[in-house]
Amino acid sequence: MKKDVIDLNKDLFVLEEELLFPANTQVAVYVSMDVGAFFALDSVTLKIDNKQVKNYLYTAREADALLKGGVQQLYLGNLKVGKHELVAFFTGKGPVERDYRRGATINFEKGVGAKYLELKISDKVAKHQPEFLIKDWE
Amino acid sequence: MTTRVAMRRPRFKLRPALLGGLLLALPLAMAAAKNVKPDPDGLPPHTVKDLQYGDVLFYFYQDDYFDSITRLLAAQQLERLPHTEGEAELLLGGLYLSLGEHVEAGKIFEALLAGKVSEAVRNKAWFYLGKVWYQRGYLEESERALRQVSDKIQPRISAERYMLLAQLKLREGRYDEAIAALQSWHGAPDWTAYAQFNLGVALVRKGRLPEAIRHLDRVGRIDSRDEELLSLRDKANLALGFAYLQAQRPAEARPILERVRLEGPFSSMALLGVGWADSSLGQFRRALVPWLALRKRSLLDSAVQEAYLTVPYAYNQLGASGQAAEYYVSAIDSFDAELKRIDASIEEIHSGDLLDRLLNDDKKDTLTWYWQLKTVPNAPESRYLYQLLARNEFQEGLKNYRELKFMSRNLKDWREDVNAYDDMLDTRQRAYSEELPKADAVMSATDLAALTQKRVDFESRINAIEKSNDVAALGTPDEQRTWARLKHIEEFVQMHPDDPDLAEMRDKVRLMKGVMYWRLSESFKARLWNERRSVKELEASLIETQKRAVQVQQARTGAPTNTGAFAARVASTRARMDDLQERLARLTDKQARYLEDLAVTELGRQKQRIETYQVQARFELAAIYDKTANKPDKAPAGKPKANP
Repeated sequence: MKKDVIDLNKDLFVLEEELLFPANTQVAVYVSMDVGAFFALDSVTLKIDNKQVKNYLYTAREADALLKGGVQQLYLGNLKVGKHELVAFFTGKGPVERDYRRGATINFEKGVGAKYLELKISDKVAKHQPEFLIKDWE
Repeated sequence: MTTRVAMRRPRFKLRPALLGGLLLALPLAMAAAKNVKPDPDGLPPHTVKDLQYGDVLFYFYQDDYFDSITRLLAAQQLERLPHTEGEAELLLGGLYLSLGEHVEAGKIFEALLAGKVSEAVRNKAWFYLGKVWYQRGYLEESERALRQVSDKIQPRISAERYMLLAQLKLREGRYDEAIAALQSWHGAPDWTAYAQFNLGVALVRKGRLPEAIRHLDRVGRIDSRDEELLSLRDKANLALGFAYLQAQRPAEARPILERVRLEGPFSSMALLGVGWADSSLGQFRRALVPWLALRKRSLLDSAVQEAYLTVPYAYNQLGASGQAAEYYVSAIDSFDAELKRIDASIEEIHSGDLLDRLLNDDKKDTLTWYWQLKTVPNAPESRYLYQLLARNEFQEGLKNYRELKFMSRNLKDWREDVNAYDDMLDTRQRAYSEELPKADAVMSATDLAALTQKRVDFESRINAIEKSNDVAALGTPDEQRTWARLKHIEEFVQMHPDDPDLAEMRDKVRLMKGVMYWRLSESFKARLWNERRSVKELEASLIETQKRAVQVQQARTGAPTNTGAFAARVASTRARMDDLQERLARLTDKQARYLEDLAVTELGRQKQRIETYQVQARFELAAIYDKTANKPDKAPAGKPKANP
């Protein structure tokens, strides 16, 4: 019985995605964190083509899930085929508990297939600083 | 003579029952103490191999298992887990397991083992399969699976596997094997205490108390701030204390039972035990101290109920039969009141909404592995439910009920979304019908073949200009006009070669044409390059236009099918939703009845125990009256308040 409900949920989930975010226009932005010794994430603001599409505040539970290896789908939307620009601003606590705000930018080409982008937060051990990168998953 | 035997009866009737109950419960204590959730990979941060698998883990690590399993199944269907297939299957099995879908979980693990998988995945699959079988009570199958797990496995899983094997043997009554396995245990420190405890219990069960003492005593002396370990420490002290009592070694039992925390959940049993130790040593006055303290506690606790009998028993032993009679009368009254309250509560439960009231304050938005209800609502029947909540059977049933309710709410939420999809598809269909004639008009007005031919002609012309070095052809309109006028004048001059009046003009024309040609030649290459670039741009634009034309054509023909396919999917999910909601409602009702029956049975059990104690109290009271009546010269110190 529970399996039937789970299966239906999965089908509805897939249907929703295919209906609202078809592959030819789909853009998904994910957030991942590696180690996190130099940065405690509070929020991420996302702009695509200079328009704010997401502003997300993290709970302690969510930040913890990211540190354990979870990857959050921060944004799922539609974009036309062609060139686009994505800007992400990360705020949180940096080294020695100081308020920290950094940005990262990527110019990407949206093709006919779905586009996946990953906002990666990692530690730059040599500089004792966090590092913010955006990876374009081809 | 008869009276004397009867007077001693409580001591023999109560103690063995209590000890037996406690010792029977002991091996299961460990399983309840450690809640180990399915763990896909030992949880170290790792490189993201598949974004969507990371997304599944994001919800998993927040203990939101329903979202996690939904996303995992969706990612599998959409083939988005190419690098994490094995891990994902393992996690899926674990998630099904956590939702109580043992059959599905078992199938997944078995399928994984039948395929080609790495040793790490294989080990985990065997481990989880062993766990599935264990939880379903298939102990032989469980043991076989757990034995397949090699030693090359994470210490945490290895510890749990070892403990499962030991518990399995304990459950099957294979104490000697369990003892042998646990004696060679060298696991992680946080598991060692559980191993020692289980070993101690197994040894007690085998009647090997001298050996058990060492292990239980060690656990009973643990220095920790961890509540789980402190609770285990209390349990070990209680087990050892009662084992001493059972072995007729009350002097040794007392200090051990005194180690149990007074504020902990085992303190009532410990107080009762301390009293029994004192009374066994003939120190009834001393026994009264813990028993009287216990008597002030809630009558719901079986140890307290027993204290209602042991206190007058001790007074009687001390010769204070008047006080003893008073306490027996008071016990009878208290038991009577309690029985009435239980009856009222049973009525309340039968009225129906007990479960919804139980779950009223529950955070309802997630399904997790180890959900348990810890607080009960402020209602008359709640006082009896704490005992019920301590039972795994009821907590499991309640978890199930909660999951069914959650799923029902989930489907209700989807229903609203699905209605919106229907509207959306209608709108799409309407927009398509409206846009179609416009698109057709644009398409029919666009002659792509003619445009392509124009581009070819243009390129040929550029080629010809280059080949003939026609520098004027690429001049500006002004330059071309000037060039044409010069050519015209030149032709005129050439038609009159012998006219002396035109000699000066001839020279001027030659000079001007030379200057003009030089200017045109100088910019010819750049202009030619520009023209070539224009040809390329034109070509790119044409290709783009052709592509769009194809897309428009595809959309034109595909849209009705696409919309229709979506509409069919929406309709099919709606039908499934209707069916499932009906089934869920039926099952939820059935589960509610089952849990209410469990609650009523538990209350019935409590009622029966109190009734037994009440009968005993009446019997003892009668015995005291009997004794007093046989000795008319010595009246009891206190007069009973009511006739038994």
